[in-house]
Amino acid sequence: MLKALAGFVVGIVVVALAGWMMMPRLMFSERVSPFGMEETVARIQHNIQNTGNGWALSGLRNPARAVQSDGGNVLPVLMIEACSTDYSKPILKEDTVRFLSILMPCKISVYKKNDGKVYIGTMNAGLMGQMFGPLVGEVMGKVAIDQKKFLEFDPSTPAPPMILPTAPAAGGGGQSSGGGC
Amino acid sequence: MPILTFMQYLMLSLALAVSVATGVQADTAPSAPIQSAAKAASHSTADHSKFDILKKPFASGPEVTRACLSCHTEAAKQVQKTKHWTWEFMNPSTQQRLGKKHVINNFCTAVPSNYEFCTACHVGYGWKDNNFDFTAQDNVDCLVCHDTTGNYRKLPGLAGHPTYKDVEFPPQSGKIVKAPDLGDVARKVGKSSRANCGACHFYGGGGDAVKHGDLDSSMRDPSKYLDIHMAYDGLNFTCGTCHATAGHDVPGSRYAPTASDDEPGTHMRGKKHANPATCQACHGARPHPAKQAKLNDHTDKIACQTCHIPEYARGGVPTKMSWDWSTAGKLDQDGKPFKLKDSGGHDAYDSKKGDFKYEDNVIPEYVWFNGTVNYTLRDTQLDPTQVIRINHFEGSPDDGKSKIWPIKRFTGKQPYDTVTNTLLIPHTYGKDDSSYWSNFNWDKALATGMREAGGTFSGKFAFVSTEMSWPITHMVAPKADALTCQQCHGDNGRLDQVPGLYMPGRDANPWLDKIGWSIVLLTLLGVIAHGGLRIVMARKGERQ
Repeated sequence: MLKALAGFVVGIVVVALAGWMMMPRLMFSERVSPFGMEETVARIQHNIQNTGNGWALSGLRNPARAVQSDGGNVLPVLMIEACSTDYSKPILKEDTVRFLSILMPCKISVYKKNDGKVYIGTMNAGLMGQMFGPLVGEVMGKVAIDQKKFLEFDPSTPAPPMILPTAPAAGGGGQSSGGGC
Repeated sequence: MPILTFMQYLMLSLALAVSVATGVQADTAPSAPIQSAAKAASHSTADHSKFDILKKPFASGPEVTRACLSCHTEAAKQVQKTKHWTWEFMNPSTQQRLGKKHVINNFCTAVPSNYEFCTACHVGYGWKDNNFDFTAQDNVDCLVCHDTTGNYRKLPGLAGHPTYKDVEFPPQSGKIVKAPDLGDVARKVGKSSRANCGACHFYGGGGDAVKHGDLDSSMRDPSKYLDIHMAYDGLNFTCGTCHATAGHDVPGSRYAPTASDDEPGTHMRGKKHANPATCQACHGARPHPAKQAKLNDHTDKIACQTCHIPEYARGGVPTKMSWDWSTAGKLDQDGKPFKLKDSGGHDAYDSKKGDFKYEDNVIPEYVWFNGTVNYTLRDTQLDPTQVIRINHFEGSPDDGKSKIWPIKRFTGKQPYDTVTNTLLIPHTYGKDDSSYWSNFNWDKALATGMREAGGTFSGKFAFVSTEMSWPITHMVAPKADALTCQQCHGDNGRLDQVPGLYMPGRDANPWLDKIGWSIVLLTLLGVIAHGGLRIVMARKGERQ
């Protein structure tokens, strides 16, 4: 009996450990971009604007710049922020899940790594949403579908211009999203 | 707030961790206004504003030079011996005649037939054709290196003269460049600053950051992250601090770089014959402190720049990485030349020049380099089926002279003669009918360019792929940002493409590994067997 119990506990520990180790890869994904930094950002920005469903760009952050002003160097990172009031509204209306505003706006990170390639980092909105009940699960499921569209590139189209924040808000967020986030 | 499950806490923690790590307050707008470098107090014993000969208006540059030479009697003679004046360099190791006057590159290609344009960066006045008088002392331009006002500017197309009247530049841009008050500039001359050198060296190849990758306008007043030596809020070095100049001769050369400094300590010990612009001239050959002594074991094979300049073009100004002349000449519906921009707003196409690619924060390529650079010159026979190396950094892991250097590799396509298999010089700039930027006719432009250069042109041409290498030696990062061990010694490391390296941590000898692991396994088995026997024997003893 003792051996069975010990085996059960060891099993739980092993599964928890495996889950813990796999979690980052499940929650976040990373892919190589076929374009340079600026073109990748520009294409994602334009895809966001063309997706509909209330999506609007809400900022473009450059965390590397703060490191530079502190006297250090990091490879380029640009974070595209986007928000859809269609999706933020139901979550922000519901007290039990309002704390999830901490995840708003939706972010896509474009960055260079030491291999010289440009990468795109995204959050697995669908999986994450499922952990917070049916309302959030449904909304985040839709976000995940749109997020895939953000990253569909057509190399045959010319590179669009990058959209720079027009009126940086306090905190360096960039232009207003037009509400919701 | 509702009670959260463990998983919810976990997810939120992850999200928070990510947002804390990246949620800094910054945007992508251009960097904060460049702060002017704090001007060091002048220790000069002469106040030029008090010199009677300078207390008058000047109508031209040569007029100012005559006034300068009335006191500085030897200055022009000194300048005229330098590469900045002759645009010539005879490489002693290759016996190649180099210098801007002779080489062809894969940017604007070559100087001959384009003198009026290119000589905006000559330290002289009036070099507009082959008849320029290199012996006339008043042709020397003192102001371009000694102006402290920032108002003295030499525009392309004026054969090295500053503009003497207000002009719109670039043409049709609506921007007016004011004619400098030459008297005012002359009365305020001083030591050369980063801005003086940068007026040409930051803009080589036809624009800001185009050519070098480690020299651009961001280096005029760099912050510490960009260049730890030149930071305006740090050591505030000028170019001349390292390129310590004697008799107007500026040390340091891209035609014959010092790849491995065999005489470290030049600056400290005042060795006049050695290059003072190397890292070792100040830092010595074993610069790392005792607690990092292992790093000193790298310095015989790794150039300082390899670790201490992790990326180039880091100042927010992207550098040009490729230039394809073969696509030049497209015109819009009205028959006019046009430009296209890339996503970052940089030129991606120009009817006058073709297609470009720009990049910033570029990770260098690394090569063995022994200091010898071989050039493909005008009369060098080339194989058009291959990528032509306009210059080739020689070196190998075995020659005892080479170190691993970071370089910028610039690629392009440019015209060559399909009959003689030699590179061609186009006449790009000029107000005449044959310049390419006037008529977009390659035949005429190449015929004129080659005639002016004293070469031959069969009349048949095509475009050949070329590449050029540039040593990366500026934009030295703070020591905390030097490459980490893992960045070279780990998988997919920086030096993966460098031949002839055995890299501990990355490379392995399969037989050695097998033997080693076999010994480990046998040892383990031995321990287990020994331990097992001891246990068995002990139990046996207990039973008995």
